[in-house]
Amino acid sequence: MTAVTTAATEKLILGVPSKGRLMDETAAAFAQAGLTLRKTGNERGYRGEIAELPGLDVAFISASEIAWNLKTGRVHLGVTGEDLVSEQMSDAATRVTFLKKLAFGRADVVVAVPDCWIDVRTMADLSEIAQPFRRAHGRWYRVATKYLNLTRRFFAARGLANYRIVESLGATEGTPAAGTAELIVDITTTGTTLAANGLRILDDGLILRSEACLIASNAADWSPATRSVLDEIKARMAG
Amino acid sequence: MPAETAKQFEALEASAQTLLSVFTRAGYEAVSPAIIQPAGVFLDVVGETLRARTYVFTDPDGDELCMRPDLTVPTCRLHVERHPEAAVPARYSYNGPAFRFQPMGGDLAHTREFRQTGIESFGIANREHAEAEVVATIADGIATAGLTDYTLRFGDLGLLRAILRAADMPARWRRRLTHHFWHPPAFKAELKRLTTSPGAVSEHIPKPLREALDPDDPEAAESAVAAYLDTNGIEAIGARTTAEIAECLLDRVADARAEPLAARTAALIQSYVGIVVPARQSPERIRALAAEMGVNIEAAVGAHEWRLELMARAGIDLDRATFSAEFGRALQYYTGFVFEVLTADLGPRSPVAGGGRYDHLLKAVGAPGHVPAVGAAVHTDRLLAALNGDAP
Repeated sequence: MTAVTTAATEKLILGVPSKGRLMDETAAAFAQAGLTLRKTGNERGYRGEIAELPGLDVAFISASEIAWNLKTGRVHLGVTGEDLVSEQMSDAATRVTFLKKLAFGRADVVVAVPDCWIDVRTMADLSEIAQPFRRAHGRWYRVATKYLNLTRRFFAARGLANYRIVESLGATEGTPAAGTAELIVDITTTGTTLAANGLRILDDGLILRSEACLIASNAADWSPATRSVLDEIKARMAG
Repeated sequence: MPAETAKQFEALEASAQTLLSVFTRAGYEAVSPAIIQPAGVFLDVVGETLRARTYVFTDPDGDELCMRPDLTVPTCRLHVERHPEAAVPARYSYNGPAFRFQPMGGDLAHTREFRQTGIESFGIANREHAEAEVVATIADGIATAGLTDYTLRFGDLGLLRAILRAADMPARWRRRLTHHFWHPPAFKAELKRLTTSPGAVSEHIPKPLREALDPDDPEAAESAVAAYLDTNGIEAIGARTTAEIAECLLDRVADARAEPLAARTAALIQSYVGIVVPARQSPERIRALAAEMGVNIEAAVGAHEWRLELMARAGIDLDRATFSAEFGRALQYYTGFVFEVLTADLGPRSPVAGGGRYDHLLKAVGAPGHVPAVGAAVHTDRLLAALNGDAP
């Protein structure tokens, strides 16, 4: 048991998305740097390697959990979106180090309101309708989102406190039409889905421009061996 | 977190009991509101800022609950449960834990589980009297517990409201300034906007629609908005009606036609907000400012002065009290008088006790109408730290 643990901590653990387009695009980004990312053993398994880097193990992890693994130091490196890192860490700058933007998984986290709110184009307009909305409906307007922390930070920095967050884990853009929220904070790439649901992004409603990044954990156990693997990855990815 | 050890809790309990005995002797019935509260009604009242620091969870039935982040709202709920009509005089005291997430991990003065020992006074029509009594009762409690070296800070949101009411401007501007008051940069920006270009936002309204909007004809405005949406193929979705949208647009058109706020009025409002003086000098100072603005706010200043007089008669040493016009800004549910008890060691960010008037809270938790309410709580952990000389 001890031997296994020691061996594991001597290797650099790289966490990558475990399925779908994100997994393929991660592999492609490493391939561009001459690094062959592949699964070991069963194709459906969750372990892998980079053929050129024997001092490294790959852990295939659900995309939404990589940020948490970085935060707690369970992986040394991880590939995940900036949106998830910012959402899951209030102090991201002290917990992780962003090494490289990988030019895929691009998406914006935005504030979007019903297009019919022609009187609301900015966050200041949104703040202005808070009290009238409450007078008319007896409650604060609701913001549907899965980005609770990003939303709170962004709204607080703009002096907005009179709203309620409704947690939404899917089909967020449908909540205003369904009547379960008045507006949303969600991720968008082209804005087509928002428009199809009668929503419009506020002029100053861009919370975060996100893309997939290679990120190092500050909490992981960094030995001389894992550091030298890190240096090699940095050198190859920089090229 | 030292305050979360068993030994510390026993010491806290001892000083809390001292406070509670003073409060009950003063006629505040001891009650024990529930620790676990329904999240919905509670968080609607405290706002999203405190919500971010509230421990919220879902029980096996799927109901959203929270650990109470303070005891005032639970005590209000208890009162409405006992007296659905709510407007009956009642005095309560309580002692128990409250829970708040501490973003930076917390310290001695900011623990995630802390104890509040406090009082609430509901339905007392004589406001200044009820307020002075609450301050005097808290002062009596902490003095009995052994803390004598402290300062007091007073504020009064009613004075700001009176100044805005008396200043020459449309009612919607007053509402907006009151709404922004708790966020100083937004308040300042709004004042500037009103003095320079109150109608600027109306230029964002599409021109054909803007020309169809007449503040004197709100019904026509609603159909103009509906027609605009229809012509442009924009679907009306959600709870907000075209009438609400039209009302907001009309306000902007009205703003564009209104005279900007006099720069002198705005400057005087800003200088009121900046007032920090020894409490005894505050009535005179505010009167001088009102005279300069040419407004009469004597009712509000008189009430403030009378409250100071009542506190002095109740034995409060006003020489250790400061008045700060902007105090109360960060505390959204207060509606009038606010105060806090500070010590040099713990500093201004960690008051030992604090409270104020919150006349809207009982209605928000289910009372049929607004009920006068004033209360205050001692942060027992800090009281103990002050008594032991433990600076955080």
